[in-house]
Amino acid sequence: MTNLAELLKVPGASIEAEDDFDAVNALVNQRGWGDGLPVVPPTASRVAAMLAFCDRAADEPVAKVAPRYGEATPLRLAANAVMAGCRPEYFPLYLLAIEAMCEEPMNLYGVQATTHPCAPLVIVNGPVAAELGINCGHNAFGPGAHANATIGRAIRLALLNIGGATPGLADMATMGAPSKYSYVVAENETASPWEPLHVERGVPAGASAVTVIGAECPHNVNDHESISAEGILTTIAGTMAITGANDVFYVGAQPVVVMGPEHAKTVASGGMSKADVKRFLRDHAHLPLGKFSKENIERRFRVAFEDSYADAGPDTPVYAFQRAEDLLIVVVGGAGKHSAYIPTFGATRAVTRALKLRDGSYARSVKDFKR
Amino acid sequence: MAELRKRGLVTAVICSTPFMKLGATQARTFGTPDLALIEIPHPLGGLDLESVKGRAGVAVPQIVAMMKKLLE
Repeated sequence: MTNLAELLKVPGASIEAEDDFDAVNALVNQRGWGDGLPVVPPTASRVAAMLAFCDRAADEPVAKVAPRYGEATPLRLAANAVMAGCRPEYFPLYLLAIEAMCEEPMNLYGVQATTHPCAPLVIVNGPVAAELGINCGHNAFGPGAHANATIGRAIRLALLNIGGATPGLADMATMGAPSKYSYVVAENETASPWEPLHVERGVPAGASAVTVIGAECPHNVNDHESISAEGILTTIAGTMAITGANDVFYVGAQPVVVMGPEHAKTVASGGMSKADVKRFLRDHAHLPLGKFSKENIERRFRVAFEDSYADAGPDTPVYAFQRAEDLLIVVVGGAGKHSAYIPTFGATRAVTRALKLRDGSYARSVKDFKR
Repeated sequence: MAELRKRGLVTAVICSTPFMKLGATQARTFGTPDLALIEIPHPLGGLDLESVKGRAGVAVPQIVAMMKKLLE
């Protein structure tokens, strides 16, 4: 590993500040380095502790973070992780998530710069989720779990400070979303009746992985009455059939259905596989063309989707998404008759990356990264 | 656009006013700080055809001026 003390001597790599919490935070605010919340001062010793869970050189390029295409190195990522309040053992998963979201199909440039209120949603699978205490149960998308909150915040700080997604200058979200503070969740694999997301996407069971996609916030699906698969899925399909989602207009869109464990159990007890659920939702999550505004019909559907809608009548179905296999389904949450629908930016594809060591082997624990 | 500019083609990017800073930043990021930015009033989406023509009327003189400058 390159010597950290030497790296910090490089002009611009570090900054002298008064050894005082308030003074450091005033400096961070003045420089525009934060997300608006107080940060943990990224001292050299804290950064070094973070890097103890990294098996790469501190100055090794990891990814280029859009829209500035700033170079993410372990050193820079560690500083942001410290600022966010991460524990050092979170670092391998954090770095993995950054790598995944910088892969071309995720379209981080679009996700960062768009007027749409999307943020990279990070779904964690595998044993590392439990090891780090990433919440997959009650209130998993909400506050309370240190790992969810701080890993997600560290990602946002990297997107701001390395990626340059300054609101109003490069992050042009019309109004943004609370998920831009932090958006990390684990799948509740033990409560799921189906194979976990990472296994479905080609990662071996027993390995850990992240799946990222540029997504909106979750929209709840309340169904306390249905006791059949068809009933639950009809309610979910109805929630997905909306006029204002980007996914309607992108053929490769991959919206996310987050099923609460109780809904998932009801659906699976009817004998439906994940693939069956996807087909059902593809076929039933639609609304009539006439529900869209006249201008959207005339200026968008009839022009951009001429093959299907040039002469289509008001009852012609418009599907929430186009291809059943593109739908992402995960099981998250605790007790209760709720699921959620997460529309996406549309021009973004899910990227799944397994947690691997430098030699290419699958990491079984974050301790595998400890120096 | 930056790639086209690097290949020597006459290139410009049209930005509505709120996106001018983003355009300038991205031009620098992609190594083409001299990439011409054509400014039009915001918005471009949600306009009727006449208003779109109005935006073109704002853009065209800037494009012509840019090309003349290149010929100087």
